Amino acid sequence: MSWVLFILLAVVTLVGGVGVVATRNVVHAALSLLVSLLAVAGIYLILFAEFLALVQVLIYGGAIIIVLLFAIMLTRSSEYPRISDNRQWPIGLVAAVGLLAVLAASFWISQHQSAGPESPALGNLANSLFTRWAIPFEVASLVLLVALIGAIIIARTGEDEG
Amino acid sequence: MSLYDIYVISPPLAIAMVGILVILLDLVVQRKRALPAFALVGLIVPTLLLVAQFQDLGNTRDLLESPAAMGNGKASVLLGSLVVDRFALFFGFLVLAATALVILASVDYVERLERRQGEYYGLVLFSATGMVLLASASELVTIYISLELTTLPIVALAAFHTSSKSSEAGMKFLIIGAISSAVMLYGMALVFGFTQTTDLTGIASKVAETTGGLSFENLALLTGVVLIVAGFGFKISSAPFQMWVPDIYEGAPTPVVAFLSVASKAAAFAVLIRVFYTGFFGVGADWGVLMAILAAVSMTVGNLVAMSQSNIRRLFGYSAIAHAGYILVGVAAGVEGSSGGTAAFVSVGPNSVLFYLGAYTAANLTAFFAIVVIGSRTGSDQIDDYAGMVQRAPVLAIVLTLALIALVGVPPTSIFIAKLYVFTAAVKGGLAWLAIVGVINSVVSAYYYLRIIRVMFLQPPPSDERIPMSPSSWVAIAASGAAMVWMGVAPGFVLRAAEIAVATLAVQT
Amino acid sequence: MTPIADFHLQAFDPTVFATNWTAVAISAVVAVVAIGGMFAASQILSSRRKSDIKLTPYECGIPPTPYAWSNISVRFYIFAILFLIFDVEAVFLFPWAVIFIKQQAMGNPIPFYAMLMFLGVLFFAIVYAWKKGALEWQK
Repeated sequence: MSWVLFILLAVVTLVGGVGVVATRNVVHAALSLLVSLLAVAGIYLILFAEFLALVQVLIYGGAIIIVLLFAIMLTRSSEYPRISDNRQWPIGLVAAVGLLAVLAASFWISQHQSAGPESPALGNLANSLFTRWAIPFEVASLVLLVALIGAIIIARTGEDEG
Repeated sequence: MSLYDIYVISPPLAIAMVGILVILLDLVVQRKRALPAFALVGLIVPTLLLVAQFQDLGNTRDLLESPAAMGNGKASVLLGSLVVDRFALFFGFLVLAATALVILASVDYVERLERRQGEYYGLVLFSATGMVLLASASELVTIYISLELTTLPIVALAAFHTSSKSSEAGMKFLIIGAISSAVMLYGMALVFGFTQTTDLTGIASKVAETTGGLSFENLALLTGVVLIVAGFGFKISSAPFQMWVPDIYEGAPTPVVAFLSVASKAAAFAVLIRVFYTGFFGVGADWGVLMAILAAVSMTVGNLVAMSQSNIRRLFGYSAIAHAGYILVGVAAGVEGSSGGTAAFVSVGPNSVLFYLGAYTAANLTAFFAIVVIGSRTGSDQIDDYAGMVQRAPVLAIVLTLALIALVGVPPTSIFIAKLYVFTAAVKGGLAWLAIVGVINSVVSAYYYLRIIRVMFLQPPPSDERIPMSPSSWVAIAASGAAMVWMGVAPGFVLRAAEIAVATLAVQT
Repeated sequence: MTPIADFHLQAFDPTVFATNWTAVAISAVVAVVAIGGMFAASQILSSRRKSDIKLTPYECGIPPTPYAWSNISVRFYIFAILFLIFDVEAVFLFPWAVIFIKQQAMGNPIPFYAMLMFLGVLFFAIVYAWKKGALEWQK
């Protein structure tokens, strides 16, 4: 059962991913990305990682896609909706297939190990996040602060210029 | 979390607090001159805390393993995320010194901005927080998030100027930084999948117990390590991951470039050494070869392309790539042994890296501060516009000449000693060919550094206008220049400090 | 090395998990089928007479401006970024809310203070954004 679900979700993820790079319309690319990200949330669910699935839907499916679409609409609209043809796509294809081969081989050949020792229930994740990983967690708040300051600086700069 | 834990993380905490307070101060204070003054005075606190921590270390290796940390019977929360050893403290001092000097040298630039002055200093300080954390991070998640904290403020700072070049620099740095982070994160995920731990000592013991026929003993580990090297390669600006360097050096505000070129590089090297010597030493002979190749490529590419540059900031971009190569020679020289076999630790290698970073920080900051002053007056970064600079600004021209001579590595200077040290380490580590490549490259590099000196001294000036210098720039240039000369004339102190720092580096063989 | 004791591992039962999420899956399927069915039904059943006026966004009223994708103000972007940042912050509150009282009772105050610091920094972020006028539409 979970295999069927996994293959289904994996196919949806891949179709979304191919849609991002294959479509000529930049808004369609963003929406394909949304499909891909939501399918990844489904994969988290069949791995029993409920919280990660929630984060994936809330942050990636919601906020990131919104920011992406806003950024698309901010930039010059007259050059849309067609993305100019990218002549380098054969090189990109070779690079992508090469990377896939290397990563797939490294997963296949290496000795496999079962999942980590802790169960993925939310409480356990929270316990380790707020004690064992308290320092990275605090640093994350500073990263968010810097992101906000940077966004305000850069956006305001554009405004000053008219 | 006991009070002792707070004390252990207090230096980065204090820097971040100063950053937040500077931004708050900007919201309420009218006299903007107070901001850099407050930031500089504020930086005394983390410096004193670092000194106190150094005193408290005594004979223990890590502050978190000292009796005081174990006082309440339970291990500290921080144990596993951070290591406060002399290695971390060395880089803490280095980053703080560079940060203070950059703040001092930025005063004139920031005053011309009129608005957003507090944010400028705040972002510099947040980035410094990330660097200090990075130097003591001992676990992959902490390393990753600290790297982000180091890079993200510099992205915003690179785009600080309203010019399109500056925006372009910020945009490129953002995208390249994101890609390199993603690559590194993928590598870390592979390593985690293989070792089931993110802790560097845990990784080390796991790596030590696996043996197999493959190079790196395991393909997942091999791919993971290669991806992590690629990620760090971007951060230290080594070839073949160097394509972002010249554009950012040209477009970003000059004081920001000075900060990026020394502090960011030093912190990235700190974590590179910590990850590879503590975590992956078991496969040291394998990544040693990788580092050696990167070093050779980096030196050669940087020096060859630098020769054809006409913009001084782009030239320094390529110079930074070349110097990343020289420093990588030291990293590669720390392991001795053939691929597939066990590796032996050669402490001269990392020693030389630490000294080189100290010397490079002083020399490069001096050069950049002179460029800041000259560039802000002439409004140009073309080397041809430096013609006759010795008549327009004799002191600056002489200081810049000293820094350039140091960067070449001519005998009585700090980088000469650093290069000598690095190449000796390479020979000791069985990498004589790399030392030869390095020496040839140093000779090549003399061409483009000396060309600037020739233009400054032998060509007639286009105008007689003098180049004034503000007191803050004076102090910054004098301090960094003095540090540069001091490390050349009396290198003993820094050499000894580097030795002490590396001695506490945990190496598991 | 296990730095902290007191990890209270909760029992995890995949069957319970699967049962819970089966309900979600069924409702998702029902929703997709219902909405898809409605659209399909209107496609199949309705009769259509296309004319130029029927294809405009507003059948009666002001004709739309020349191009649908005109530039939007940069202010929208600041709002989007603010939303993203505080969304990330809110996500961290979920796992924290589940455990912090239990951990407090077990004598582990770290989660509480960790979140206090986290929120403190982000509180500063919102004060900053406010003071800079990023939250105001007109400035």
